[in-house]
Amino acid sequence: MDLSLIIVAVCLVLAIGLVVVYLVFGRSEANFTMDIGGAAPKAAGGSDSSTEKTASNRLTGLLVGVGAVFAVLAARLWSMQLVSSDEYAEQAERNRRSTIYTQAPRGRILDRNGREIVTNRASLTVVADGSVVDDQIEVQLLGNLIGMPAQAVRRRLQDTTEGYQSPRMISVDVSRRVVAFIGEHPDVFPGVSIQERTQRSYPHGTLAAHVVGYVGTVTQEQLEASENGEDGLPEYRSGDIVGQSGVELSYESVLAGVRGEQTVFVDAHGDVLGYSTSIDPVPGSDVVLTLDIDIQKAAEESLARIVEQRRAAGADCPGGSVVALDCTNGEVIAMASYPTFSPNVFTGGIAQSDWDALSAEDSHYPLLNRAISGQYPAGSVIKPLTSFAALNYGIATPDSSWYCSGWWSWSGRSQGDTIMKCWQESGHGAIGLSSGITYSCDVVFYEIGKGFYNSENPEGMQETFRAYGLGSKTGIDLNGEEAGVIPDAAWKREHYKALGYSDEDSTWKGGDNCNISIGQGDVQVTCLQMAQSYCSIANRGPAWKPHVLMGVRAKVGESFVSEYRPEEVFSIEESDSFRDLIERGMWGVTYEESESQASHWTNMSISVSSKTGTGEQIGPGRNICWFGCFAPSEDPKYVVFSNVDGGDWGATTAMLVVRDTLGAIYGEPDNSEAVYAAGD
Amino acid sequence: MAREMKETLTLGTKGSGRHVRPSSRASGAGGPLRDLYLSQLIPALLLVVIGVVTILSASLSIPEANFASHLAGIAIGLAAAVAVWHYDTRALSSMTTALFILACVLMVLPRIPGLGYEVNGMMGWVRLGPVRFQPSEPSKIVVIFLMASAAAQYNGKIETFRDYAKLCGTLLVPLLLIMSLDLGTGLVIFFIGATIIIVSGAPRTWVLLTIALIVGVAALVIITSMIEGIPHILKEYQLNRLIVFVDPDVDPTNNGYNLTQAMIAVGSGGFFGKGFGNATQALNGFVPEAQTDFVFSLFAEQFGFVGSVVLLALFACMIVTTILLAMRTESLYMRLVLVGCVAMWTFQVLENVGMCLGIMPITGIPLPFVSYGSSSMVVQLVAVGIVQSVWRHRQKAA
Repeated sequence: MDLSLIIVAVCLVLAIGLVVVYLVFGRSEANFTMDIGGAAPKAAGGSDSSTEKTASNRLTGLLVGVGAVFAVLAARLWSMQLVSSDEYAEQAERNRRSTIYTQAPRGRILDRNGREIVTNRASLTVVADGSVVDDQIEVQLLGNLIGMPAQAVRRRLQDTTEGYQSPRMISVDVSRRVVAFIGEHPDVFPGVSIQERTQRSYPHGTLAAHVVGYVGTVTQEQLEASENGEDGLPEYRSGDIVGQSGVELSYESVLAGVRGEQTVFVDAHGDVLGYSTSIDPVPGSDVVLTLDIDIQKAAEESLARIVEQRRAAGADCPGGSVVALDCTNGEVIAMASYPTFSPNVFTGGIAQSDWDALSAEDSHYPLLNRAISGQYPAGSVIKPLTSFAALNYGIATPDSSWYCSGWWSWSGRSQGDTIMKCWQESGHGAIGLSSGITYSCDVVFYEIGKGFYNSENPEGMQETFRAYGLGSKTGIDLNGEEAGVIPDAAWKREHYKALGYSDEDSTWKGGDNCNISIGQGDVQVTCLQMAQSYCSIANRGPAWKPHVLMGVRAKVGESFVSEYRPEEVFSIEESDSFRDLIERGMWGVTYEESESQASHWTNMSISVSSKTGTGEQIGPGRNICWFGCFAPSEDPKYVVFSNVDGGDWGATTAMLVVRDTLGAIYGEPDNSEAVYAAGD
Repeated sequence: MAREMKETLTLGTKGSGRHVRPSSRASGAGGPLRDLYLSQLIPALLLVVIGVVTILSASLSIPEANFASHLAGIAIGLAAAVAVWHYDTRALSSMTTALFILACVLMVLPRIPGLGYEVNGMMGWVRLGPVRFQPSEPSKIVVIFLMASAAAQYNGKIETFRDYAKLCGTLLVPLLLIMSLDLGTGLVIFFIGATIIIVSGAPRTWVLLTIALIVGVAALVIITSMIEGIPHILKEYQLNRLIVFVDPDVDPTNNGYNLTQAMIAVGSGGFFGKGFGNATQALNGFVPEAQTDFVFSLFAEQFGFVGSVVLLALFACMIVTTILLAMRTESLYMRLVLVGCVAMWTFQVLENVGMCLGIMPITGIPLPFVSYGSSSMVVQLVAVGIVQSVWRHRQKAA
């Protein structure tokens, strides 16, 4: 480019130089004329007397001018055809090539037994050449036939996201009537045809909707992320259908496949002149999940039934969740959240009315996966962790004993101090740690909270909670997980100051310790976090990262090309005597806390260790009801956890969901009708 | 006496030494070739051959380019050229008034209802029975003769400003008539007339003043056309072409797009070109009017730098030999006719090629001998016939 500029410049200088030379010629001619004119008297305005010489000089000038013209043209040719030729050739090549894209079918999503949760179905699609847009009448007729406004048809016809030469998609999932009509009237609809394309399909409707997620048109952020080459993302083009949440999003790179490309030679109108190289689409790989459709279904149905019962009883009950983990490796056997949605409504673009319904406040946000995104006070299900903390830091010993009279105050006085009640206001009498867990005696844990406050390790409880994974994300392979909160003095100061509280009100106090010892106050946990912490208790140490992916299937056969490797996220050492004591307490919850409670479990062939919980949510004024368990008690395999936001007691709501889910795992449905009146 | 003086002068003129002197050729060659000025004729005919090849390639994919019609144009043109070659054009030197009227009539013809005809949205065509033609093309020849005869009256001594103004007025009337109809042809005619006036011996100061006046008027025309609310002399597309010439990116879809695509065609041709029929730009619709206005793009894409240099060399050779002939023609009238032909060719080549190279604004001017179009082809071949006629009748001038 520099060289060409220099050449052009040189030629221009040359041309100007020639003109200057001519002007010099001219000047001498002019002088000469003047001399003659001066010497010989002539008419006014006298000019050159030598016609011959003037004309000859001017012809020379003409010659010079012609030479300059050709010099400039030749120089410009040199610069364009020799120096910059490659750039122009590249532009010409870009002009004549165009690409037609074919979407690759997405991989299916299967349950652990290879049954389809998400698949693709054939969909009859009306497509048309881009040129149809010029025919107003045909556009109108097409709109009438399909039931679309002509303007919408026109917009689709002008959409070139699949490549300029690709037929334009007008309408998906058209009826047989439309297909037949178009087939019978090719003269009315020139350039319009029917194609069989694939659409994402969720044959089980709402089943595992929060886990599998949904697909939608690629967003601007996703386009930019893929342009920036972020980890493993396929190269998106505007208009692509991509995973937007759940497994559809987390394993997008595996599910998506690679679109097909056909390079064509085109003329200026975009008409195809010939075909060049082509790449066939590579379908996405099938993804096998750890979920079991049957257990998932049982968990969902039970959860829905309990929430709907509560709502029918007039309670403000927004929803709930349940998680069943294989505690030996972190596999998620079932994960449900209620209310739920059908991912099918997102296929082919979600209608505005559907979207409004899903995001309305009184629908209680069905898109929210409460199992990983719902943060609630833990309530009494945290008590086994508090117990470990107390034993480890010496706040309590296996032989410690307290007296519960149904109420408790920091000073022990009933007057002039804040009275904190045990959930059982009649009191539990003299009680040790193991029984404290079994009967969920709050007084025991108030004492522990007070003990920590006065000890050398005032934040020992929080350290233990965090060690068990509370306050941080589990790292499950789903989007939208929340970390929860385990409050301490520093957190309270920062958080409350930011909210505008005074220094006094932002200071950590003894009462805060008593609150968190029973999972209240500012403690926020998710159902999955609690399940993970119980996995560690059940495994007597290790906890595995919860995950929903079993593996990615090979294109042929049922073997895996890649398999999820269980990942130990933490492992906690506790003395066996402490473990025995706490496990005894949890076993007692199932079989000793109350008869009616036990009746739901004694009908199972396995023994279960569990904990109930009922937390108060200060803001909404609702109870968050918890139940978590591991089973079998002797050699735990499963941890099942549930919460119901707006239940009355853990044992009357969440426990039944857990029981039904565990019942589905072992094939032993709950046949007890016993209803527990009140109890934590 | 005059002849000897001219010989002396030409000997002293730079460049004439390369040329075979007419006298030596006349005595050396003999036979029927004696009456042909071969060093001008051969390049012209080679250019016609290049045009045939180029239009043949255009006819492969451009429906408007009818190869047979192109050949017919050449046949008619050659016949007309032979006729002109035999005719002593000096007879026209005293017919200034008749030529003036003819020029004006030709300019007005397309405006007469019933005769005027529009092709591809372009005005300026006339239909007489089965024949369609552009009167603006023959008007170029008429203007050459008109201006040559008008200027030759003063015998190289335009001494009064009145004479100069009269000469300019003779050009101005047909020029104004054509300008509003066909700016491209108007520019060619202006260039022909101006060159003839300058070479005929108009005093330098007046010429410079005239040029200054024209530049001023042109600037005024352009500036007023860019201001909203006052009457525009330039049509919108003409103004756009000027804007695009300055910056092709301003309007990448229409004129700017055309220009960019034409330049890509030329540039992508490279050294040897893409070969006959392989012009992916010009033959696949990216370059508009690739058979006429942008014909150089079509040629350069297929035949590359080598072909383009040959093409330009042939034009240069043809034009330079015509100037050399003018230098040794003592009849001022004949000399000015040759100068008119030189001006026409030079300007048309500069404009047509320069436009494809992005160094001239876009106007619809055909490339002589190459562009598709019979009107242009006949007129250009007649111009060659005129040069040959001057050669043939040179002895009688002595």
